[in-house]
This record gives sequence, C-alpha cells and structure tokens, in this order.
Amino acid sequence: MAHLGTPAVVMDNGTGYTKLGFAGNDAPSFVFPTVIATAKGSSGGNISRKGTEDLDFYIGDEALAAANGPAYSVNYPIRHGQIENWDHMERFWENSIFKYLRCEPEDHHFLLTEPPLNPPENRENTAEIMFESFNCAGLYIAVQAVLALAASWTSNKVTDRSLTGTVIDSGDGVTHVIPVAEGYVIGSAIKSIPIAGRDITYFIQNMLRDRNEPDTSLKTAEQIKENYCYVCPDIVKEFNRFDNDPDRFQKYMADQGLHRRATVDVGYERFLAPEIFFNPEIASSDFLTPLSEVVDTVVQSSPIDVRRGLYKNIVLSGGSTMFKDFGRRLQRDIRTLADDRLAANQRATGVKSSGVDVKVISHSKQRNAVWYGGSLLSSTPEFKNYCYTKQDYDEMGPGIVRNFSLFSMV
Amino acid sequence: MLMLQYQNLLLQSVLSERLDPETPPLGIDQVVSDFDNVTFHISNPDPKDKTVIMVSMYIKCFQDLVKCGAKKILEREYGPYLTEPEPGYDVSLLLNLTDGSIPSDPEQRDELVNKIALLKRNTFAAPFEKAFDKFDQLAEEAAAEGKDLYAPQKSDNEVMAIHYRDEESIYVRPSYDRVTVIFSTIFKDETDRIFGKVFLQEFVDARRRAIQNAPQVLYTQKEPPLEIRDVVKPSSNADNMGYVTFVLFPRHLVASRRENCISHIQIFRDYFHYHIKCSKAYMHSRMRFRVSEFLKVLNRAKQENVVKEKKTASGRTFKHPN
Repeated sequence: MAHLGTPAVVMDNGTGYTKLGFAGNDAPSFVFPTVIATAKGSSGGNISRKGTEDLDFYIGDEALAAANGPAYSVNYPIRHGQIENWDHMERFWENSIFKYLRCEPEDHHFLLTEPPLNPPENRENTAEIMFESFNCAGLYIAVQAVLALAASWTSNKVTDRSLTGTVIDSGDGVTHVIPVAEGYVIGSAIKSIPIAGRDITYFIQNMLRDRNEPDTSLKTAEQIKENYCYVCPDIVKEFNRFDNDPDRFQKYMADQGLHRRATVDVGYERFLAPEIFFNPEIASSDFLTPLSEVVDTVVQSSPIDVRRGLYKNIVLSGGSTMFKDFGRRLQRDIRTLADDRLAANQRATGVKSSGVDVKVISHSKQRNAVWYGGSLLSSTPEFKNYCYTKQDYDEMGPGIVRNFSLFSMV
Repeated sequence: MLMLQYQNLLLQSVLSERLDPETPPLGIDQVVSDFDNVTFHISNPDPKDKTVIMVSMYIKCFQDLVKCGAKKILEREYGPYLTEPEPGYDVSLLLNLTDGSIPSDPEQRDELVNKIALLKRNTFAAPFEKAFDKFDQLAEEAAAEGKDLYAPQKSDNEVMAIHYRDEESIYVRPSYDRVTVIFSTIFKDETDRIFGKVFLQEFVDARRRAIQNAPQVLYTQKEPPLEIRDVVKPSSNADNMGYVTFVLFPRHLVASRRENCISHIQIFRDYFHYHIKCSKAYMHSRMRFRVSEFLKVLNRAKQENVVKEKKTASGRTFKHPN
C-alpha cells in the first residue's frame, strides 16, 4: 500500500450519536453519544479562571459516567441535528480529535456532515472553528442525505451510481424523508415523521408492562427491539401464524445486574413494534400517516422530472431501518400507492402509462450509512481537491464554505 | 483532559475486544492514525482466517529510529509477536488467537493489549533509551576520572537526530552530566506562533518561579543552539524555526523515573500544540460570551416610546401646525 499521506478524518455529529473514524475504513472507529459533561460552576464564560478548568470535561460515554457524580453536569451540544452550543461543540471536537482519534489536525483533511436545510451561518461557524482553532489542513462539509445515497452504492442492487434518490433516515429521535436530485437536496419537499427508534422502544416497553413481565426496563425493550423484531407482510396473517405456531413466541434473558436474571416472554411485539411505521395508529393518536404515504407525498411534491429517479432509488439509513424485511414491505406499499394513482389516472384520461419502477434499497452498511458514505467519498484521491484548505479560508474568509462542489464520482 | 495519553486509545479498545475469547472472531480491516505521521493498520492477513490479527505500524522516520536501536527495543517488548513487516509498513505484530500465544488470564491479556497500544511510544523511545544508557556510561567514566559535574566541557558525542515530521526534528545528545533534548518547532499559522511564544516563555519562567525540579527549558528562535549547530540542515524556513531545549539532569534519569521521562518528553510537541488549540478554544468561548453580553446591552438600549404617526380612519395624518 502506498502512503498517500494521512487518511482523512470523517466526523458525523448527530443529535444522538457521534461517529468518528478515518477514511477508507468500513466502520466508524468510535460511536458514542454526543454529550459533553462540564464541571459545575464553570459554564458561565465570564468567570476569569486561574487554572485549567476549561479542560475539565468529558465527552461521550465517559461524560455520562462522570455525570453520575456530583461534580459534572451533562450538556447536549446538538439539538434537532443542529449545533446549538458552539462553546461545547468546540471542546467536544477538541477532545474527539486529540483524545479519541489522536491526530494532529494540521496533517489531516476533515469531512464533517450537516443536516439538510442547515443555515449557512452554521457552516461558517463550523469552518471558523475548524480552521482557526484547529488549523485543519482541509475541510469538506457534506449533507448527510447525500452521503447516505453514496453509501447505498455498496448494494449490488444499485447499478448506476447516481446521486438522485429519496433518503429515509430514521435514527433515534426523528425520521426524515429527504428527496435528493443530482446531489442537491430538494428542501421544499422534505418531510419528517415523529416516529423513530425511541418510539418503538417505548411501544415495546408498554407491551411488556401490560403483560406484567418481570423486567420492563428500557434496556430490555431495546434489546428485544434489536434482536427479535421484524416486519411482517400482513398483520392478521402474522397473528394467526403466531397462534398456530407457538415456536414464534420467544424468551429473552434479561440481565438485571448483580447476577440477577429474569426471563421475559417476547410475543406479538416482534412484528407489531416495527409496524408502527406502517400503521402509526397502533401507537400514537396524533400522527396517523403511514411511512409509505409520506414517501409518496414527498416524491409527488418534488419536481416532475426527477420523480422517476426518486421512486427508483429509495435508500434507507439509520439504525431504525434495520428491521428485517423493512425495505421489502416499504417497497410493496409504495408500489401499491404509485400503481393505484396510475390506474386512476388511466381511468380518468384513458392514456396508458408505462408504469413507474419503485425500488427500496437495503444494504449492509445501513446503520452508519452517513458515516460510511463519508468514508467512501473521502478515501477517493480526488477528495482533497474538493476540500477548502486553510489558505483558501485565509484568502476568502468563512463565507467560502457556503458552497462546496459536489463529487462527480463514477 | 489536561494530559494527552501515551497509548493509542483505538488500538487499545479494538484489541481488548478482539482478544477476548468470548467475542466471536470477526473480520477486521481498519486504518488508524496517530500523532506525528504514524499510521496503524489492523487487519487479518488471510481474509478467511479471522483468528489471526496483524497490527502494522508505519512511522515516517523509522530509519532514524532504527539507527538508534529501535529494533532492539521492539524485540525486547514484542519479541514473540514480531513478524515480517507488511508491505508499506515498518513494524508488524502478528496475534494468533488460537495457538495459545495470547494469555488467557484477563489481567495478563490487558497488559499485552496495553503494551501493543504503546507501540508508537516504545518505538519512539529508542533514541532516548540509547541516550540515557550512554549517559550512564559517560557518567561512570567521568566519576572514575573525577571530572567536575556541570563544568562546561566540550563533548564530541554524537547527536541523534529524528526527523519525525516534514520540517521538525528531535535532537538528543547525551553527555556525562546531562542529556539534552532539542525540539525544532515551526508554526504554520501566525496566531499559533504568538501563542507558542507565550507558552514557551511560560515554560522558561515556571521553573524559575515554582517548579525547581523540572528540567531546564531554553527557547531560541532562528539560531539553532550550539549543541546541534553542526547537524541542523539549512532550510528555507530557518527564520520561522524555533528551538526548544530540554536539559535532563541526572535526577530525571534515575532508573525509576526513566520510563516516565521518556513518555513525557516524546509527546511534548503534541501536548504543546494541543494546548495552543485548547487556549484558542477558550479564547473563542470568552469572545462569544462577550459578544452575547454586548448584544444584551444593545437590546436594552432600544427606544421604548417611539412616537408613532397617528392616522385617522380615512388614512389622513394629524400634523402639528407649528
């Protein structure tokens, strides 16, 4: 292997979790909560400190551990995908770079991610920190949805590597449906759904409580969600199948610590929990639109010339899309909606359509799709040409990062 | 986090997970970076056999380190695991999970993992260990000859130069009463240079004020110190070059402090740059705070009773007849 210089650093700071790693790897090196624990009493900026109190903080899992004690308080620098507290974020990056990644930022190029519709001022602030505090060699800020599209190229179902498609990004807090045309996000058509991983966990927890299971902790519910849940094609048939075949009911051994163990039965929630994406009425009373309908609306509200591309390339990203057969079910439901619309159109006008091709793409890197896409892009030799360097920044000022040229990757 | 750690955290966490016999073997192929242009590569040499893990390291200045006896130290620390280096890398360790070479006792295993995580530190220790040994030898000779300690004396001992970064180097020079370590530093950024100067001045002053036991620190700009004047290569950036000299006295070199001393001194540059960056971050948070305070003042300064133009229902305005 030739040494093409140091590998680029890929940092994906999400609301819930931060993914850190080096370009070219197939998984992030570190995944930890985007949390910073600062020493109490030093959060105000005006106290003139004598010592090094500003270095007294922890991030990630260590922060959560430190916050159990009395001396530290926890802060979440990112809310709803956007950075709220720049002081904390700057220190969060400081620690991520020097403690976790152990790299001298002057030697590395950086790829950061941002949510769609991030205000350009936020980009500028990010650039200011990265260039002025850290003197990083080069910076590229990519939109998460575009990286998720790039990550889907690993799937063998993808034949042409285009940057057009609909991204369904479902993390812990919220699910976004984002249409992307030729690498540009169609901002006006983005929709978000208040159903995501956490809601599924709560749903399972409620079912366990209703049955009076011996352990109904959130952790148990999460384990059941991750290890037992799947998406079924038809709920009624699935209920029947469970009733005829008792093997489908399973048991989960919950470890309660201190060598206590409890056995929890796992029943209908195996398929009911992920079902709330497709039939939200079973869990919530205020949001009732199924995911497939939302996706269909999003595509329909996008410009007419890209709709085919958006239907053909529906890409999943985030941990809550990892359920077995999630993609297949979604594809079926969206196809039904699209075909019904075409049929109605044909009845009304008499013009026969050639039909639309609906394809939902699942792939093995779905969980950290955004990070993986970033790693993929930044490991290409062209990446460094697309970055802005410190010299560019000094020449043009922070406004330079308002535009990044897209990768024309083949 | 005041101090930087010596071990590579990622190497440590990956290996402690993989070497645990309870985790199922998984394929691995990761590139990990470390300070000073060091790159690690953790992989399975044979993709089908997931129980054999290879850890390779690339160091830019490996040839310099080999001259100082790095191979011997690697042999001493990692003897049974050393293997033919992977192409493109300088050192490779081979860990076989099945042939019993990995200790089964969790404590011993942790020890091994920590040792591997210190791979970079141990390799970089070579010139220092060599210098310290040389110091011992010279000190003994000097004692036998009855030389006066600390008397200025010309020494023709070889200076070891490690060109660990593109433009920066470490020079180590043993003598019979001290070991001199000199870092050449260069700042790419104007602001950094100013911060750096303040920091370095502080290093020089701190010793005078409070910490008497610390090694003596000297700082010169442009002109390389006398000890290394012959070995410094002329460079185009000579004007921006600064030289930080650490003088390690016999009390720093006693056997019990030696390892600690090596760890501390070789991370100096990273530590230095880390703290420059931290202080910038701190200044930025002060600036942000100040701006938000000013904004509050500005908001308070708004006029409260703005005279509004009054209109009748038909849109006419009242005017004073003055």
